Amino acid sequence: MRKSEGTPRLLRELRSLRVLVFHPDDQDGQELLGQLQRIGCRVKAFWPPLDKLPDETDLVIFAMRPEVLSMDLPWLRRDGSPPVIPVVNYENPVIVEAVLQLNAYGVIASPVKSFGLLTSIVVSVNQAEKARAQEKYIARLEQRLAGLRKINKAKAILMSTRGLSEDDAYKVIRDQAMSKRVTAEEIADAVINANDILGFDLKS
Amino acid sequence: MKSRSTAPIRVGVLFSETGVTSVIERSERQGTLLAVQEINEAGGINGRELQLISYDPQSRPALYASQAKHLLLEDRVQVILGCYMSSTRKAVMPVVERWNGLLLYPTLYEGFEYSRNVIYTGAAPNQNSVQLAEFMMREFGSRVFMVGSDYIYPYESNRIMSDLIVERGGEKVAEVYLPLDASWESYVTVAKKIQATNPDFIFSTVVGYGTSLLHRAYAQVKLDPAKMPIASLTTCEAEVRQMGADIAEGHITSAPYFQSVDTETNRRCVAQFKNRFGADEVTNMCWEAAYFQTHLLADAMRRVDTDNIVDLLRVLPGSEFSGPQGKVRIDEHNHHTYLRPRIGRVNGQGQFDILQEAERWVRPDPYLVSHSLQDWSTRAQIHAR
Repeated sequence: MRKSEGTPRLLRELRSLRVLVFHPDDQDGQELLGQLQRIGCRVKAFWPPLDKLPDETDLVIFAMRPEVLSMDLPWLRRDGSPPVIPVVNYENPVIVEAVLQLNAYGVIASPVKSFGLLTSIVVSVNQAEKARAQEKYIARLEQRLAGLRKINKAKAILMSTRGLSEDDAYKVIRDQAMSKRVTAEEIADAVINANDILGFDLKS
Repeated sequence: MKSRSTAPIRVGVLFSETGVTSVIERSERQGTLLAVQEINEAGGINGRELQLISYDPQSRPALYASQAKHLLLEDRVQVILGCYMSSTRKAVMPVVERWNGLLLYPTLYEGFEYSRNVIYTGAAPNQNSVQLAEFMMREFGSRVFMVGSDYIYPYESNRIMSDLIVERGGEKVAEVYLPLDASWESYVTVAKKIQATNPDFIFSTVVGYGTSLLHRAYAQVKLDPAKMPIASLTTCEAEVRQMGADIAEGHITSAPYFQSVDTETNRRCVAQFKNRFGADEVTNMCWEAAYFQTHLLADAMRRVDTDNIVDLLRVLPGSEFSGPQGKVRIDEHNHHTYLRPRIGRVNGQGQFDILQEAERWVRPDPYLVSHSLQDWSTRAQIHAR
């Protein structure tokens, strides 16, 4: 394995990580809290789970008890919600399915051991950050794809109404965009709109 | 009142008498034996004798695991004193967790561990690495050559040292790892590389027999400890005696204890130790942790009047003892020990001149990822040399 230079940012920032623990105050809960405090995270613990997450939450550790299955927790799986690590003490299909719905990147098995928690936390936060970055990237790609579609449509309009070659049609759009300091996509929008309103007349 | 048992209380001991780390582990065993002698001379555990059952795990992790299991299941001990290398502690840990035994571990290590079933009495990195980095960079400069044995403790120690040095704008000249049983020739190659790269100091995490090979190779290529010393967290009086004071002199170690620590308890302990084991025997940081952890255990056993670990774990965390290094205390939350960091330099007699020591004990923080030189609140005082 490649050895990296310096300690990864996520590890360095563990002591500023704000962790919300939704777990009963039992042996597992105390083991969790004790280890999170040893690691040095900022921890708050509640049971039963809150309907609304405090604004400043980087990670939720969540006791996957049968009684939470029927709870309506609006923050779960909402866009931008922090990653969730479930604590599981059943392994039957009902619970496993519920775990899948959490979109979790790791689980903590009951009885909770101090060993392994740090790695679970870092992996989950890291994967969640990656997933968020990927979602952003995909959204940007989709936007670009829609833009390309518009430009192609505008090119086709220009080619048929002005008898331009494809290259020249594109050049018209690009030059307009540059002189008006807007995106090619916006010019394409204007071309399409004009065409919709004026039919083939684009001279004015 | 129920009738009190007078049967001895038996405790397991796993320190290697053979293999690559036998020199230092033999010393840990001696520290344990001295403490047990004192405990029994003072009446044992409320009248019950403390007896040791020792095996020789030969510096091999698999033997530590099987012997730990034997101690718990066949010999029926509750508590094991032992282990030096992290690989051996990691081998014993699942055994004591599974059968609910207690391991007392008297060795510095790289941190990032907590087990309900383990008490750690050696230094965590925030009690030795930070102090060493601070001292070396202040006194010698920030270009460091790292050489270590090829296992987990050197990797993690070097990570911490690298961060500390980079934070201060320093430079890692090289990072080299050698197998635990590396040959004399490979140490000479490293020494030549040190000579060629000309760092400000060398950070060594070489353990066991390799320590004396490294120092010997360093001396052979005629490097000067006054200008470019080897700094270490593990090289102690035991290794110095093994390699000879002539080649160890001038090199630097960070540890909470040296034989030269000037406390009344230490003077008394060293005298008793030499009386029992011989005038030319030496003590060291691991010896001392092995010694005081045995006393901490005995004190806890006296208080709960049993060796049952559920009861012991109620009183051991949070307990204090006046050891040779000064007062120590087991942290309630992380099972590591409050210790007093010191920096020592080997003198011509094979002992350490203590160059600085913290004003007070430092709380152990085994899960500290980012060590910082600036906010080291217990900055040490420099002693007049």
